[in-house]
Amino acid sequence: MKPKIRILLVALVACTLLIVAAVAWATETLTVHASFNPDRLGAPTNVSVTGKFASTTGGLPSPITHITAYLPAGVEIDARGAGTCIAAKLEQLGPSGCPADSRVGFGGGEGLIELAKETIREPYTLDFFFGPRENGHLAVLAYVKASSPAAFELVLVAKEFHAPKPYGLGFAIAVPPIATLPEASNASVESAFLTFGSTNVAYYKTVHGKKKLLHVRGVVVPKTCPPDGFAIRATVDFEDGTTLTVDPTVPCPHH
Amino acid sequence: MPAPLAECMRRPTVSHLAPAGTVLAAIVVWVGLAAPAQALTTAAITPSLSPDRLGAKAALTFTISYAGGQFGVPSPVRRSVLRFPTGLSLDIPHLSSCAAAHLRARGASGCPAQSALGSGHALVEAHAGSQTITEDVAMRAFLGPPQNLRPTMEILVRGYTPLDERMVLTGTVLPDRAPYGEELVMSIPPIPTLPLEPDASIVSFTLTIGAARPRTDGANTLLTPPSCPVGGFPFAAEFTYADGSRGTALAEAPCPL
Repeated sequence: MKPKIRILLVALVACTLLIVAAVAWATETLTVHASFNPDRLGAPTNVSVTGKFASTTGGLPSPITHITAYLPAGVEIDARGAGTCIAAKLEQLGPSGCPADSRVGFGGGEGLIELAKETIREPYTLDFFFGPRENGHLAVLAYVKASSPAAFELVLVAKEFHAPKPYGLGFAIAVPPIATLPEASNASVESAFLTFGSTNVAYYKTVHGKKKLLHVRGVVVPKTCPPDGFAIRATVDFEDGTTLTVDPTVPCPHH
Repeated sequence: MPAPLAECMRRPTVSHLAPAGTVLAAIVVWVGLAAPAQALTTAAITPSLSPDRLGAKAALTFTISYAGGQFGVPSPVRRSVLRFPTGLSLDIPHLSSCAAAHLRARGASGCPAQSALGSGHALVEAHAGSQTITEDVAMRAFLGPPQNLRPTMEILVRGYTPLDERMVLTGTVLPDRAPYGEELVMSIPPIPTLPLEPDASIVSFTLTIGAARPRTDGANTLLTPPSCPVGGFPFAAEFTYADGSRGTALAEAPCPL
């Protein structure tokens, strides 16, 4: 073997070893806190979730490719009275393209980009809307927007499914690679906060020629609470092939 | 992508782009420093008296407009002091009041008609997600129970959509220094929207107190001063915002012709 080829081979082996080691070491962590507000059995509520990602390698967390959320058994999403938003209109016009009564939640957080070995923070916002049902299953559209330093907007679709016990509803959402700036890494998520539903959302609707105030129930707390609290699960898949599962619980309401 | 792998694959490109990254980082820092200056909340007041006559029963319409703030939404007001010209006084034929607890529990219909002082409306905004959400709210003002022998005012604020909410603001009327006669001091509680989202802010506020021709005998109204200073009737306001900043606004209502 010629010396030049040998050096290249050694370099390739070294790089491969590093890749293997990196995959083995790369571990994303996620701290999640979820709560119902108000936390009353059988009552319309607001579900709020905060999450913080980190990487044990000290670098950026790997970009997210897929999120699956499992909600506690008994949680209802009562969309009666709410409108629906078409994904194409949301992509074309942004949130102004959606009926006001299709809005189901808000959120935001900070993303991370690596450019020239510098970590750049990118605030982003989230707007959630009810989408048209697919085969009888709810769909929630998530409008993600960031302005600075990289401007991007994208629409994600969270599709409802029936989750196995002890869960009830589940939502699965695929996240495409989010390119930001030329030569920069795809966007990673450092933190996120989400808030769905509310106890007092109301809209006017014309019923038999009369304007009527209609209350949307939205997210409803289960009628009973298991001894260990309401179980929630989130599974997050990352671009580096790793998967993370977290099992936060929401304590039972105080009597 | 894990850092070692990224370094393995990207090193040549990254070093080539280092100066651009530095420039970008500098821009990001500069934008970050510049942002707070644009976030300052300002306020303007517009008082008007109707009819514009000295020593007469009248209605005072007081409009406050807020501007600026992050995302174009003013910082929420936490305290306001509204100053009124010397001689402008409330004419209260019957001392009938309505307590804040009554208003919260029963709404305007729970208050005696003779405690009514006026009405108005406001526009409330909150920036949630990527959007600014607005809500029109109606206001009804009532004479509240006196505090330390000073008159108080209770304002019922009621909005229906997108959030069906009601709240009560309480103000106390105190003596002021010339050229002002009295001031209305109000503490404004946070207006919650949704968990994890910012509180709502008042963007505009218009309240009319009194009436030139009260609809009922014995209705509360306002009396204009018997004389008008040069330059007009002086009004002023001081505001303390949730971000800790303060602001003032001055205005004159012209003297009657």
